[in-house]
Amino acid sequence: MKKVLSTLLVTVMLFGLLTLSGAAAESPEIVDGRFVTTRQITVEVYDRANDGGSTPEDNFYTNFIKEGMLRDHNVAVTFVPVGRWTEDVDINNLLASSTAPDICVTYNYPAILSYANMGGVIDLAPLLEEHKNLLPNLWGLLGETNLYWNRDPEKGTVWAIEARLNNNQRINTFVREDWLTTLGLAEPTTLAEFEATLKAFMDNAELLLGENASQMIPFSTSFDVGWRADHLLTSFVPSNLTDKEFYIHDFDDRHLLYQGYKEGVRKLNEWYNAGLMWNDFALYGAGDKTEDNLIKSGFVGAFIHNWDYPYRDGEEGIHYNLQTGIGPQAAFIAVEPFQNDAGEHRKFLSNPIDRKVFLPATNDEPLASMLYIDWISKFENRFFLQFGEEGVTHEITADGVYKTLSVTGEKIMNSSANIDYTITINGRDAGNPEATAKSIALGYGGVEPRFIEKAFAVSVHDGYIVPHFNCGEIKSEEGMATPLKEKRDALFAQAVTAPVDQFDAVWDAGMEDYMASGGQAIIDERAAAFEKYYGK
Amino acid sequence: MNTKFNTPLHIKRQRRLAYFKRYWMLYLLLVLPIAFFLIFRYIPMTYLQIAFKKNNIIQNIWEVPWADGTPFANFIRAYANRDFLYAVRNTVTLNLLDLVVGFPAPIILALVLNELTFKRFKRFTQTIVYMPHFLSWVIIYGMALQLFAPSTGLVNILINRMGYSSIPFLNNPGHWIWTYVFLGIWQSVGWNAIIYMAALTGINPELYEAAAVDGASRLRKTWHVTLPGLRPTIVTLLILSLGRILGSDFDRPFALSNNLVKSASNVISIFVYTNGIKGLQFSLAAAVGLLQSVVCVFFLLGANALARRFGERGIW
Repeated sequence: MKKVLSTLLVTVMLFGLLTLSGAAAESPEIVDGRFVTTRQITVEVYDRANDGGSTPEDNFYTNFIKEGMLRDHNVAVTFVPVGRWTEDVDINNLLASSTAPDICVTYNYPAILSYANMGGVIDLAPLLEEHKNLLPNLWGLLGETNLYWNRDPEKGTVWAIEARLNNNQRINTFVREDWLTTLGLAEPTTLAEFEATLKAFMDNAELLLGENASQMIPFSTSFDVGWRADHLLTSFVPSNLTDKEFYIHDFDDRHLLYQGYKEGVRKLNEWYNAGLMWNDFALYGAGDKTEDNLIKSGFVGAFIHNWDYPYRDGEEGIHYNLQTGIGPQAAFIAVEPFQNDAGEHRKFLSNPIDRKVFLPATNDEPLASMLYIDWISKFENRFFLQFGEEGVTHEITADGVYKTLSVTGEKIMNSSANIDYTITINGRDAGNPEATAKSIALGYGGVEPRFIEKAFAVSVHDGYIVPHFNCGEIKSEEGMATPLKEKRDALFAQAVTAPVDQFDAVWDAGMEDYMASGGQAIIDERAAAFEKYYGK
Repeated sequence: MNTKFNTPLHIKRQRRLAYFKRYWMLYLLLVLPIAFFLIFRYIPMTYLQIAFKKNNIIQNIWEVPWADGTPFANFIRAYANRDFLYAVRNTVTLNLLDLVVGFPAPIILALVLNELTFKRFKRFTQTIVYMPHFLSWVIIYGMALQLFAPSTGLVNILINRMGYSSIPFLNNPGHWIWTYVFLGIWQSVGWNAIIYMAALTGINPELYEAAAVDGASRLRKTWHVTLPGLRPTIVTLLILSLGRILGSDFDRPFALSNNLVKSASNVISIFVYTNGIKGLQFSLAAAVGLLQSVVCVFFLLGANALARRFGERGIW
């Protein structure tokens, strides 16, 4: 009797399994790309809480997405706002309470890896393979490069896919163009000329600033020295480093571990002690506007920052404030004075990756979620989200360029080019690179296109992208991102502000601490992993 | 043997019953606070087990396996981390200075205010000095920058005008510690003085009159009447602050810190924040927090025992 019963049970189970797997293979739940019954999914959206912005989870653009998803896939979408500046903690809380959105987005890949190690993330590899024919737009936009960027070389798991970074302009060096003109100087093209320019600004403070001469800051930087001196620092990196050397020293996103950085920081230290730098830079933290205000007031001669920084933000921005406060000649222009030992103006550019999209384990609609990611990657859909309505958020110029317009009210974009909704791409894409570049040059209201075009070109000239080596998870990096980042920022600030004769001691002590606190372990593990997968 | 204490059982029970009949309402009143402590204080304590388990915020905490090797793995990891040891050092340094310099300040302020005869001025001063208590540390740091920044701070501008070079109040670890302590006193001295002011009103005025008759001067009265009157309050507060010697505020050092003084400003709570919360090492953070609490309890018990040995009442 027992035997009969167990045989019966096994048969029933097998039958059940067969029908289940059959269902998955044929997908009768989906007809012409649409689910037969309406599915519900939730999607994370960044909440930037910007002045005059609309509700991030319910506005003109979310309605466009909701209607489209319902029409094309019969999937009802609900947006879940997550604070842009508190995303790490917010997502932690959502995951810990099993209430995370079905589709999550973050810039923090190590965090996703930690979640995955805790069993909280769905492996996307089988979904991507099995439903490839249902996801043509996703595969078309991201390709194997971005979809499999994080594929584990051993297990083949994909915990997150990488959005595409469409424009990899990163950083520029800016100088006050009108000050150069006043002093009869040419744009600096070498480090020595740049240094001479800073000294000239200092020496001619009376001429340039009049009664505010004491406010003169030839070169300014911030608490984030690694970013805000990038072009100077990277010019000290030897040109002959091998890809392996790059990879094993690539943990820090400000390249602290690259060879040559110490000498770059020593140069800053010289400037600081010669009074060429903003004295109080280290005292102001992230988000503080003191330095911006100094630049806007016209006290700063040169700085290094995001490639379009002075031209951003319209009437709130630096360019507008200089033009109205000082005069129509006052403007920053992008220059490239820093050469490496090979005479190149080498700049380290980003790989074509941006945010990371993952599905938490609590997601019970993985296929509907993948269809959403596919839908948002479709050119027509993302084009509408990036450029909006013609006549409202963009217009087409006589020569066919898409010029973006700023708008207030219900059709305002809470994030630049609606980046918070187009989760698989960062940067406007007008169809081809040329049209995109032209569109970007026109995208800064009130700024002459020549400034933007120069900044755009200079920022990537002699650009170098360190190749991506996928060596799987580096265990020693777990949990170290924030502690080591803080150490790095402190080290930079302390080394720059040290007295000249103590520079070596301060730098060496800081570096020793960085290495002992986990830096060396990471380098060693990376070296071993590289040799394992790519040989010596 | 000691039959005197051996009350028969049934009488005991009767007495207890009578007692409950009489006082049951008081016990009913206690139910609510007890429930509060159970639900919001004791049940959450069961989650302390995360300190002994593998790091996991996704799984149910009861199902997470114990930490690798020994349940104390997270404690060992914290102890092996030099930043943790620096954090302990900084916490103790800052708290000790706060105690030595900051503890007497409100007592002195209360004594001075007490001696003021012009009542309206006294009340006015009292209100002014406790107001900073309501400012957040972020705002206080903003004010400190306006005053103490090396090139734009008001104080340093004055010092420069007098022909001296700027004092690195905020950008040198050694100076920063004193700025930290000073700002702490400025922020809390008025507030902390309130409790002493209250204790002062409880001192019997006849004692002062008697002292006056005996020809005691003002200082003598303070020394022989006021201070002894304050002693129980002082001891209680001292025990409580000793109990916090390894405890640490988060917002004060976090808001006042900057990259140049990290070596002095990284205290335990900041270590927990950067390594634990931001670095997703929740087990490590919980282990450090537990360790901190345990040490604090020992300090509290020790200080209390010491106080009792010296003939004070202690806090329980």
